[in-house]
Amino acid sequence: MYSATKKVSAIESGGRDRAMFKRDTLLGEAAPVRGHHAPGLVMLIATLGASVPSIAQPDAVSRTVEIYAQRCSGCHGQEGDGLGPAAERLNPPPRDFTLGMYKIKSSGFDEYLPNDEDLLRMIRDGMPGTAMPAWGDVLSDQEMADLVRHIKTLAGYEADEKPSQQVEYGTQVLGSADSIRIGRELFLERDRCSECHGKDGKGDGLKSLKDDNGERTWPRNLTKPWTFRASNDPRDIYTRISAGIAGTQMPSFADPASDKVLSSEERWHVANYVSSLAKTDNVVRPDNTVVKAAKLVGRLPDSADDPAWEQAEPSTFFLVPQMLAKKRLFKPTNDTISVSALYNEQEIAFLLEWDDRTQSIPGDENAEKIADGQIFEDSVALQLPLDIPSGTEKPYFGMGDPTHAVNIWQWTSGTTDEPEQTSLINARGIKDIERRDAAGAGVQATGTYQDGTWRVVINRALATANPRQDIQFLEGRFIPLALAAWDGSNGETQSRHTMTSWYWLLLKSPAGSRPLIVALIVILAIIGAEFWWMRSASRRRRQ
Amino acid sequence: MKIPRLLQVVLIFVGIYVAFKVVFGFVLGQPIPSSLLTMYMFFVVAGLFMVFTFTDESTRELVAPIKALVEDPARKPVRNVVFIVVPLLAGAYAFNVMLPDFDAPLELRSIHPAPPSTVKIYDQRYDLSTLENPLRKFQKDDPQKFRLLVAEGAEVYIRNCHYCHGDKLDGNGPYAQGLNPIPLNFQDIGTIAQLQESFLFWRIATGGPGLPDEGAPWLSAMPVWENFLSEDEIWKVILFLYDYTGHRPRTWEQE
Ligand code: HEC
Ligand code: HEC
Ligand code: HEC
Repeated sequence: MYSATKKVSAIESGGRDRAMFKRDTLLGEAAPVRGHHAPGLVMLIATLGASVPSIAQPDAVSRTVEIYAQRCSGCHGQEGDGLGPAAERLNPPPRDFTLGMYKIKSSGFDEYLPNDEDLLRMIRDGMPGTAMPAWGDVLSDQEMADLVRHIKTLAGYEADEKPSQQVEYGTQVLGSADSIRIGRELFLERDRCSECHGKDGKGDGLKSLKDDNGERTWPRNLTKPWTFRASNDPRDIYTRISAGIAGTQMPSFADPASDKVLSSEERWHVANYVSSLAKTDNVVRPDNTVVKAAKLVGRLPDSADDPAWEQAEPSTFFLVPQMLAKKRLFKPTNDTISVSALYNEQEIAFLLEWDDRTQSIPGDENAEKIADGQIFEDSVALQLPLDIPSGTEKPYFGMGDPTHAVNIWQWTSGTTDEPEQTSLINARGIKDIERRDAAGAGVQATGTYQDGTWRVVINRALATANPRQDIQFLEGRFIPLALAAWDGSNGETQSRHTMTSWYWLLLKSPAGSRPLIVALIVILAIIGAEFWWMRSASRRRRQ
Repeated sequence: MKIPRLLQVVLIFVGIYVAFKVVFGFVLGQPIPSSLLTMYMFFVVAGLFMVFTFTDESTRELVAPIKALVEDPARKPVRNVVFIVVPLLAGAYAFNVMLPDFDAPLELRSIHPAPPSTVKIYDQRYDLSTLENPLRKFQKDDPQKFRLLVAEGAEVYIRNCHYCHGDKLDGNGPYAQGLNPIPLNFQDIGTIAQLQESFLFWRIATGGPGLPDEGAPWLSAMPVWENFLSEDEIWKVILFLYDYTGHRPRTWEQE
């Protein structure tokens, strides 16, 4: 038996790096999803009530095995081989603990054994961007520390074994503009990081990447820090590029044997640059559920790089995999999409932007090489109700229902033989689909791909000649809007796609002079009444 | 000291206004929508007006300070200030009201609407008022078999449900943030702990689209599990939901 208490105090004092709490703040921003969420408290009480032993500590080992079986085995497997029943529907797959390799570690680059704090942190805070949840609100510190020891023994390590080397931090360079500039140069120098992470860090390096088990891995999109397994704090990034990410292609840049090795100072510059990539204008703001279309006087943009788009305000939404019907999608790659809209007296234009690591061109040799299995076209679709609802009742968000039809405008990226295409569907549920002529209805779309991002513009007239089949846009009305996206290199086609729930589109009618005129009328009317009152009062006094 | 009646009216009005804000903002955890507040306050004003002008006497008492303001020459400076401030305030209010509103419309939905008395699932009619979980009896009769059934339910859950409801059953799965309404939190005492197993069976088998209109079936991302799971699997996953959370299903005896 081991002395568990001693162990925990060592972890407690050593492991509480500030950066560890970064994930909490990141999620904290995203957490208050519309509506309220009862915090973990209730469940904590529930689990405590169910699991606190009434007698003193039973055998700690068997207790840990029990917790593992209840909480972890569904993914990581009873034996820790990563083959729990959930595994085949997850990417990344649950860690195989028998291999003794872990992604997030702060020990030296040439050994696999992590520090106990590294494992404890991943268990406590979870791994964003994966199914691995944070257990800190359910399990006690003691239980998590015991799990760390248990997991190590599954790989044949001694429960108390310690790594022999640590990442050397040198002196931290703070993130100045200069440091970020140097970092960017090093990032691009001889394609050091851009080889996999792409020129703008969106993970679009043109390479087929498989992890040691042959499972598809994607280089991280460095502009989306909420998908980092371990925060985008420069210290965390420094640790990752020093130690590498075991089991994946992400190498160590502290390894002197690497031809792209970086000194400690250089690694700080790169870390500062990567940390600065967290964009702010394309993040999901949960309280923003309305795409506000601004009104222009002149011509509307018909391409993505038209400067007119600067006048539109993008709204970004989460994409979730389609799990409602037919063939479902469990391993999505697209995770967010941004929508902007502009309109004038005649027309409306939408700009849909989403990061996709791969430009999927069926027939193209390079694209086929990167793809996971059969390749399909990339695609995006915009769904609108045929009739703008006047009450709360809307069409079902998954392609409408028998009593409420939707218009779906879809753009597909094209193959080596076929150009991009725009199509139009009227649907009353998945079983009642009518394909229509998009050009005939005036729906036009065109897309461009650059450095890991698709930009697609869709235009249509506000009103059409066919109001019984086409939505007629009206100023100032809240119009339900939903989106879907397909990453063809990820095997996404037909019903296998990502989608959003209903959001809103609003054609923002300019306020004009009406508020001012009404305000003036109100003021004058009240002043008039006041005068009338005063005069009648003084008349009464005189009488 | 007696509070002047006009001041009473103002105090009551402000008190109720603050109470609405506090109850919604802090107790219910959602700020009160402005359209709803305006409507409530309209009724409050109407009510106050009726109560405070019930007799001629009380009406006179109510308007006395206002009358004095206009008619008493000694109060002229105060009057001038009031007569300038009031129209300006009203003008500013009117201006704000007339500005177009960009807030998303409010969507109220009932989380646990009344179930239909019978439903058709798997081409078969079920009477929800008598339906029971056929596997529940093993909890007493054959605990070993029961553990096995729960484990099978866990498997159904982790392969199908955790994406939204979370593997901690806290409604916070990897994709929960992209959904509106959010997936329900089974650990919360306000969900399955309040429900009968037959209600869950109906909800799981028919999903979002199976909801009546007050549940806003057009919004819910809850899939129709009848299309993917067998009846047996649904009953097993229900066993698992209660087992993992430690809640107990509501039964007819409790009613
Ligand atoms: C819903 C599935 C799921 C459950 C339940 C789950 N995990 Fe994980 N876990 C994952 C996935 C997926 C990964 C791999 C993430 C990655 O590779 O980026 C992972 C990775 C890990 C890692 C590796 C960390 C690293 O740096 O590589 C540890 C340790 C871990 N899990 C511990 C646990 C423990 C302990 C439990 C139970 C208390 C648990 N997990 C429950 C899905 C799960
Ligand atoms: C050979 C390909 C490759 C190269 C070169 C590469 N990376 Fe990575 N990187 C990856 C892959 C693959 C992942 C995702 C690993 C996983 O599956 O979790 C990753 C993940 C990351 C992460 C995410 C860490 C986290 O907490 O999630 C960061 C940060 C990162 N890389 C930075 C860099 C930097 C900086 C460089 C250059 C100094 C670099 N990478 C070079 C392939 C590469
Ligand atoms: C795609 C996301 C998603 C998946 C997957 C999912 N659910 Fe749901 N579920 C929801 C949402 C959203 C709600 C809340 C809206 C509603 O009541 O329909 C919900 C509600 C429920 C309710 C109603 C609870 C109550 O208190 O009324 C039950 C029961 C339920 N889900 C069980 C399950 C089970 C069991 C599974 C797996 C077989 C599952 N869900 C899979 C999204 C999902």
